[in-house]
Amino acid sequence: MDFYGEVVSLTFKVVGKSIPRIDGLIKASGEAQYAFDLEIPGMLWAKLVRSTIAHGIIKKIDYSEALKVKGVVAVVTGKDLPYKLGIYVGDRDVLAVDRVLWYGQPVVAVVADSLEAAEEAAEKVVVEYEPLPAVLDPEEALKPDAPLLHPKLGEYRRAPGFNPIPGTNIASKYELKKGDPEKAFKEADVVIENKFKAPMVSHVYLETMNVIAWYHRDGTIEIWSSAQSPFAVRYLMSASLGIPLHKIIIHRPFIGGGFGGKAGLNLEPLVALLSKHAGYRPVRLLLSREENFYIAPVRTGIIAYIKTGARKDGRIIAHDSTYIFDSGGYADYAVNVARAAWYKCTGPYDIPNVHCISMAVYTNKVYATAFRGFGHMEFHWAVERQLDILAHELGIDPLEIRLKNALLPGKGVLPTGEKLREDAGRLDQCLIEAAKAIDWGKPPEKPKEPWKVRGKGIAALYKGPAEPPNAAASAIVKFNEDGSVDVLVGTTDYGQGTITSLAQIVAEELGLPIEKVHVRFYLDTDANAYTWQTVGSRSTFQDGNAVLMAARDAKRKILEIASQVLHVRPENLELRDEKVCVKGEPWECVSLQEVVFGYTYPNGHTVGGPVIGVGYHMPERRTYLDPTTGRAPDGSPGAPTIFITFGAQAVEIELDLLTGKVEILRYAGAFDIGKAINPLLVKGQIYGGAVMAMSLGLFEELKYGKDGRLLNPNLTDYKVARAGDIPKKMIPIIIENPQADGPYGARGLAENVMIALPAAIANAIYNATGVNIYEMPMTPENILKAIKEQKPELIEKAKKALMEYLEKKG
Amino acid sequence: MKITLTVNGKKYEVDVKPNETLLDVLRDKIGIKSVKAGCWRGECGICTVLLDGKPVKSCLVLAAEADGSEIVTVEGLMKDGRLAPLQKAFIEHGAIQCGFCTSAFVLTAHWLLSRNPNVTREEVIEAINGLICRCTGYEQIIEAILAAAKYYKK
Amino acid sequence: MSLILPKFEYYKPSTLDEALELLAKFKGDARILAGGTDLIVDLRSRIKKPKAVIDIKGIKELHKLEYIEGKGLIVGATVTLNELLEHPIVKSKFHVLYDSVRQLADMQLRNRATLVGNICNASPAADSAPALLVLDAKVKAVSKRGERVIEIKDFFKWVKKTALEPDEMVTEVFIPEPPEGSRGKYYKATRNVEDLAIVGVAGLVAYPNEPSKRIVRLAYASVAPTPIRIYEVEELFKRDEPLPKLIDEAVNIALRKVSPITDVRGSDWYRRHLVDVLTRKLLIELFLEG
Repeated sequence: MDFYGEVVSLTFKVVGKSIPRIDGLIKASGEAQYAFDLEIPGMLWAKLVRSTIAHGIIKKIDYSEALKVKGVVAVVTGKDLPYKLGIYVGDRDVLAVDRVLWYGQPVVAVVADSLEAAEEAAEKVVVEYEPLPAVLDPEEALKPDAPLLHPKLGEYRRAPGFNPIPGTNIASKYELKKGDPEKAFKEADVVIENKFKAPMVSHVYLETMNVIAWYHRDGTIEIWSSAQSPFAVRYLMSASLGIPLHKIIIHRPFIGGGFGGKAGLNLEPLVALLSKHAGYRPVRLLLSREENFYIAPVRTGIIAYIKTGARKDGRIIAHDSTYIFDSGGYADYAVNVARAAWYKCTGPYDIPNVHCISMAVYTNKVYATAFRGFGHMEFHWAVERQLDILAHELGIDPLEIRLKNALLPGKGVLPTGEKLREDAGRLDQCLIEAAKAIDWGKPPEKPKEPWKVRGKGIAALYKGPAEPPNAAASAIVKFNEDGSVDVLVGTTDYGQGTITSLAQIVAEELGLPIEKVHVRFYLDTDANAYTWQTVGSRSTFQDGNAVLMAARDAKRKILEIASQVLHVRPENLELRDEKVCVKGEPWECVSLQEVVFGYTYPNGHTVGGPVIGVGYHMPERRTYLDPTTGRAPDGSPGAPTIFITFGAQAVEIELDLLTGKVEILRYAGAFDIGKAINPLLVKGQIYGGAVMAMSLGLFEELKYGKDGRLLNPNLTDYKVARAGDIPKKMIPIIIENPQADGPYGARGLAENVMIALPAAIANAIYNATGVNIYEMPMTPENILKAIKEQKPELIEKAKKALMEYLEKKG
Repeated sequence: MKITLTVNGKKYEVDVKPNETLLDVLRDKIGIKSVKAGCWRGECGICTVLLDGKPVKSCLVLAAEADGSEIVTVEGLMKDGRLAPLQKAFIEHGAIQCGFCTSAFVLTAHWLLSRNPNVTREEVIEAINGLICRCTGYEQIIEAILAAAKYYKK
Repeated sequence: MSLILPKFEYYKPSTLDEALELLAKFKGDARILAGGTDLIVDLRSRIKKPKAVIDIKGIKELHKLEYIEGKGLIVGATVTLNELLEHPIVKSKFHVLYDSVRQLADMQLRNRATLVGNICNASPAADSAPALLVLDAKVKAVSKRGERVIEIKDFFKWVKKTALEPDEMVTEVFIPEPPEGSRGKYYKATRNVEDLAIVGVAGLVAYPNEPSKRIVRLAYASVAPTPIRIYEVEELFKRDEPLPKLIDEAVNIALRKVSPITDVRGSDWYRRHLVDVLTRKLLIELFLEG
């Protein structure tokens, strides 16, 4: 197979072109169907009753009044659903059984023939609790006397490489060591230690979580869900409920945003079981925004401790970090988030001596899951702030210290001992290009108002897909009678542009115009090709490779048929302009249409048949990691990710010293993605990710009261960026150093665009004020608080400048 | 109670309950699913429709209030099944990602450009500040609206 | 929160008398619906569960938006905020009102929301309230029993509570002609571009350079259980003293009068800080403009 061999040719016809997204038209016209839009005749409605305490024992559930409401079909409690869910640790109840773990956790489900009846009945359910002490802060949860959320942690099912510590609130813990950090810290010229924090945040995908499930009498379950990873939903449901895979069919329509929040198994098993309890009738559950805030998983928070040892010249020789991720009530993806942060703990730097601990810790809050960046924004916040603090201590330019320590292809060694491949991305180029775009080294212009200041900041990043070493992707390229193709893949395009890129790859390989390539928009697990999940920016790389292989498989089959028609060996034929032609004699051709369904001779005889190409991608030479060493099980270097995308993000900001408000004047993001299959859509990722990252950095935080109640469960109180908040100018920079085993050299991007921006903003704030920010979000209030604590004279000076303004002008 | 709505030029007589919103009726009774909902409290704006020519958030309008009104949804901007220039501009400029908010932005932009085709970037931002898009970062939406303005100039 | 609204009876009277009759009949268990942008949110979250909702948009006389030269502006109960913004006289004469309404909610909501609704909702964060306070607006409250005029300063009683009796409704707000030559402005501190006020400050200044004639008025949102005007600063500015000194004193008075709380939008200390800096900035701008 020549699949991995060919990397970059310079004359692409379709790949590399800014083709508008192929699903654009039906989205613009309003025809695209989302789970939210679907209805099944006769479907029932479910409504959930939520816990009103943060931690406690369920003493009694009385739903007798609820049953009396007209239209109620079933009332179901946790005891009726004796299954444990969980992707890496099987700790999750379908509905709370015995014990509630957070304020808002679903305890009872009501099913009725209308939403109105379901809501009315749900209000009549009375639950009595015996409250237990709650713990909301992960550091508090680590103390020996902290209330234990999962006394049976040791009995839960767990996936390989995950490490729950029974008798504690640690859902999973990891440790690694490289070199001799103790010795290196002693030899360092300077050692600095800091603590950084970031809160839990919400994805705020616009389509709230919703599911329709139909448990059929033949034992087949059909699910229509707003889920990113339908094959993972199917697999995890099968494993948890003990139902064979082929008996579960997930239908995945268009998805109104996911960002990791819909990556795993969420409400699907609950609704499926409700359908069964309601007498095998279809049931719909749709969360309101408030319910979505209380019930749907969120992003992990972090408390990070970092100690860095460096030489005077800025070379970092030792790194010691402890990352404590707030997992909320269940382990879900948070244990893998902590794992991903562990094996990439240093940030994108080549540090010879490293000691890292990372863990996910249970607290009495809604559970945490994947969120675009998968823990990397959280720990890069710490690493990239720390690096600036070090640079200032040493009097070195923040750009220079990054270039000095950058992981470089063929040389750098990752914390797990893995040497960075020779065709990896170039962090140095990303840094230089991003810096150049905001005129790094040139002082910012003076702001018009004397109470404002400006500054520039930069931060670097790296990330690869956090997935098992055997996470597969597959694809089917199916020719139609007229020479067009249908492409079946397993990935979900909820905006990233993947299916357009995949169509471009197929068109490129088969010499077809893009219009002749249809990638199936809607996915059914019993019809589409498999992929592990839609997470980790893996789709372009893995599903891209799978369609590339499938297209080449189809091409091989076409050439074999044409070979018999044209009487030329297949290798002497080529596909061009929807024809198969003899190389060197382009007038000797047979049309694609004549061969893709087998060729029919004038006398009626045939050769070949309908052409279907199949392909797959499997990670190669990737390893499991020992959670206590970061090495592969056999002790060799640990190799967790199939690629690493490097990037750098730089900003110029203006800060109002009177209010603490930050405005981003310029943003530049440079990412080495190997090859931009579609630059227009790549830019869309860079813009969108920057604004989302800015929003998280400046505005977003789930705020909890002392009783564990969420204080901002709506979009009035939980703010996300609007058009008026975005940077005044955004400069996307695409860098293309191809990776040999990527499709046309490409690497993934969608998460990387998020990771370093908050740190870059904080670094710019330091540049403007000399004030260090250690906690996200950087709301005006939090920034002003930091200034008050560290440099109160700045505020007084600003006030004076304001009054002088009056005197001068007046 | 019975109300009359003209939706995209077509007259509908629908039976509604007092506690039904315009959003509910458009989606569930008339079957126009391009109108989405994301917060049900007037924050995200993705339920925006044109009510008697003006963009409003339909989750905060009772169906009964809309009795006798003209409603335009994104379907109403198309002509003979062909996309309106704004819709085309959204596709071409990468202003669509997940697509869940697209109709709301297109309708708002249509109102804006119909009133004033010489809009500035600031005016575009001001008009769409009431809408949330979580995917695109708004940049390409703003570009698309500014690019489509030329079709509104007489 | 529910996805659907609670059950209620819907009435759409076409005359004011009918509306007042309904209000009297339901004895406080009815809610007036004008723009609905607050009411429907409160219904859906079950903060309000009235038996009846009275839609007043069918009452023609309530849609009055009229400027009487030399007297002032009448804004009827169903006039939307965007209609107000589009009225040329509002922009040219009632600067502080224009400025505050421009920053109220967003364009889509302003197509429904009304000025009267904004004050009847009586949120401490109501953006239009400080503007109406510095403009000495008068609220016309009507019931079957008759009508009365409530000074805006007496209208707000507590968080979400007004001086209205259960059978009363506001039919219009009268905004007297602002003092000759006056300028007005509204500053609103928010977390991002689309937010309720962490602190809002409305100011009105006339004759900035003639101490004896000088008029200075300040009112605030989100610093107390109701929007408040701080009258105590007004005499101060009649003194013939350097402005920076007067501004310092005004800020001190304001800080003594406000009683901000800590909530998800901001802490009490931050709100106090904003009162300090925003008051300064606002006054300086108004003095410099004048």
